[in-house]
Amino acid sequence: MTPPLDMSRRQFLTAASVTAAAALLAGCTPGTVPGSNTTTLQFWHLLSGGDGVTMSQLLDTANSAQSAYRIRPTVLAWGTPYYTKLAMAGAGGRAPDVAIMHATRTVGWAPGGLLDTWDLDRLASLGVDSTKFPKPIWEKGFVGENMYSIALDAHPFVAMFNTDICDAAGVLDSDGRLIETSSPDEFVDQLRTIGGQAEGHALSYGYLGDGAQMWRLFYTFYSQHGGAMELPPGGKAVIDKDAAVESLSLMRTLLDGEIALAQADYGSAVAEFATGKSGMLFTGVWELRTMQSAGIPFDATMIPTLYGTPAVYADSHSFVLPHQTSADEKKRDLTYQFVADMLKGSFGWAEAGHIPAFLPVTESPEYDDLIPQAHYAEAAQHVVYDPTAWFTGSGSNFQGEFGAAVQGVLLSGDDPAAAIDRFEARVNTLLSQPNPADPEGTFAS
Amino acid sequence: MTTATDSTRTIVTGSKAPLPIRRAGSRNREQLISWAFLAPFLIAFVLFLAWPIVHGIILSFTDQSLTGAGGAFVGAANYAEALADPVMWRSMGNTVWFTLLSTVPLVVIALLMAALVDRGIPGQWLWRLSFFMPYLLASTVISQIWVWIFNPQIGAANNILKAFGLEPLAWLQNPDTNMLSIVIATVWWTVGFNFLLYLAAMQNIPPQQYEAASLDGAGPWRQFWSITLPQLGPATVLILILQILASLKLFDQAYQMLGGVASDTTRSIVQYIYEAGFVSYRFGYSAAISYVFFALIVIIGVAQALISRRRKESQL
Repeated sequence: MTPPLDMSRRQFLTAASVTAAAALLAGCTPGTVPGSNTTTLQFWHLLSGGDGVTMSQLLDTANSAQSAYRIRPTVLAWGTPYYTKLAMAGAGGRAPDVAIMHATRTVGWAPGGLLDTWDLDRLASLGVDSTKFPKPIWEKGFVGENMYSIALDAHPFVAMFNTDICDAAGVLDSDGRLIETSSPDEFVDQLRTIGGQAEGHALSYGYLGDGAQMWRLFYTFYSQHGGAMELPPGGKAVIDKDAAVESLSLMRTLLDGEIALAQADYGSAVAEFATGKSGMLFTGVWELRTMQSAGIPFDATMIPTLYGTPAVYADSHSFVLPHQTSADEKKRDLTYQFVADMLKGSFGWAEAGHIPAFLPVTESPEYDDLIPQAHYAEAAQHVVYDPTAWFTGSGSNFQGEFGAAVQGVLLSGDDPAAAIDRFEARVNTLLSQPNPADPEGTFAS
Repeated sequence: MTTATDSTRTIVTGSKAPLPIRRAGSRNREQLISWAFLAPFLIAFVLFLAWPIVHGIILSFTDQSLTGAGGAFVGAANYAEALADPVMWRSMGNTVWFTLLSTVPLVVIALLMAALVDRGIPGQWLWRLSFFMPYLLASTVISQIWVWIFNPQIGAANNILKAFGLEPLAWLQNPDTNMLSIVIATVWWTVGFNFLLYLAAMQNIPPQQYEAASLDGAGPWRQFWSITLPQLGPATVLILILQILASLKLFDQAYQMLGGVASDTTRSIVQYIYEAGFVSYRFGYSAAISYVFFALIVIIGVAQALISRRRKESQL
């Protein structure tokens, strides 16, 4: 008889690799944790850095508050890498149970069947309905008749200002808020006054090689003229040339080397403001944490309305249901539960700077005490998203194309009208191409 | 295995004449074994090289999307679109322009460096090491280094310009200078490899030739022009071919140094293929562009073969 351990080396290796493979496979098996009623839900998102830390705290809270589900998050690199992987997972029909997408990106995805729709009745039964969201944010979740994304937040482009410098310049009112300006001239005057007190520049704004940054400020000014760009599929872009040229010209005025540095990239603008050298910074709310840990005295506000209509560029992190070929109804139920839990618990998300989309959170008395977040919360009512088309949105090529077309205006004083024409031509080319998620128009309504 | 060993032993000792059938069996067995040794490579080759090439051609005639949608046969529509696409031509032009801009200094500077080291400046090993070292770095590392050097506010490049009283530049962001910046970084990064090839070739030149030349009164310059350079001919051809192929592949350092931002003046054809496939999800179109690019490489390859054949004929 052979003793149990007397195996040849080959037998041993075979046995060992089979055991290892079995262990690996077991590790991959989604679903119920053995020995309990807890269901594991796969959740993909693209939030790293400070946002990532806040998100994992929120998930810990959600996980520990109940025992029906447990979230297993997967974090992927922001932008194209994330969207490529999510699309492929959806295409294979074995997508995660729930994922975060930028609200602006769902338009390109929904028609291709990459996303499943949210059931409004099911949401309502959990206390999530249109009355609990600012109108523009709720509506952004729809493509046609169906809802594809539920916003967790809005993250607008805002103005942060150094309270010491602005106070010394006398541009703060008695409450310590920035005095409102309502025309480009007034705003430029205000900045010049601030500049007199700042060691560096009045304004920090980084844009070099960063199409998204250029687009955020441009589209804020453009939308303040009272209209949105329209990008009808297969048609021609509808762009208000006068508004576009005026917005671009104002940006160039600001980057005169005196008000703001003529050539700054994103990082150096953030650094200038964070070291207390400049009076104001145009940035996304996601830099709030950076400024808080820099320890400078600052507050934040909506970018002033200079052309009549209050509007700020923004995007939303939204929950979506990536398409699953055979969705497990029990898991779907728990996914709805999870999203409702996250929305109700999104106060913590505000600490990362984002404006929670769920109104019961921002209307709570605690939120009023959250400074400076409460000072720009009204931006949620005036958000404008990227014009709707399959190729627009955060992390898409559209904003990069815009940057490529207009950077010469900001950097070396090229003609703004010619730059807008270049941009329009490029957009028209993109409009003439079919949505690659649905090249044959099968899903187009 | 054990049987195989047994049969080999039988043949080697030759104590018993092996039966013919048995010999045929062992030959089959040997063939089987050699296939088994080839298999790991062969499987990888078929899966990751041969099949993708064939599959790519098939894809280029469809409207296949990364999202799984599409896939219908569209004939040559993708090729027609590619050939009429100004961005495709611009990207192709950028790649060719980069190849020209980078190949010349990468050959000339490598030759100069090799000549200096070969002439025996003191501390040869140190020069050899430091010229070659950057080549060992990953593209991600050199991109990071050069992004800092080219930083418009605190970068070393602008500090040097300032020291000479010149205006600072937005190296990587200004469309007039960004391609040049990428070329500079690339030359610094990869010149070491060509340097090493040149140095090896120089050290293979028999010292007697220099000795004879100096006896005949040839100075160092004369020797360099009349002995070193002609003897480096084959090495130069090799370096040129390798360099052109490497430069045509431009993607990673440009993509990383510009933070993945598309710029009309630096977008290479490889980046456009990537963007079409993975940003715009158009696999079919992306595949078509890559075959247009492939055609360009074939043309360069054939031209190069013709030139080198003529060289050989003229040498005979």
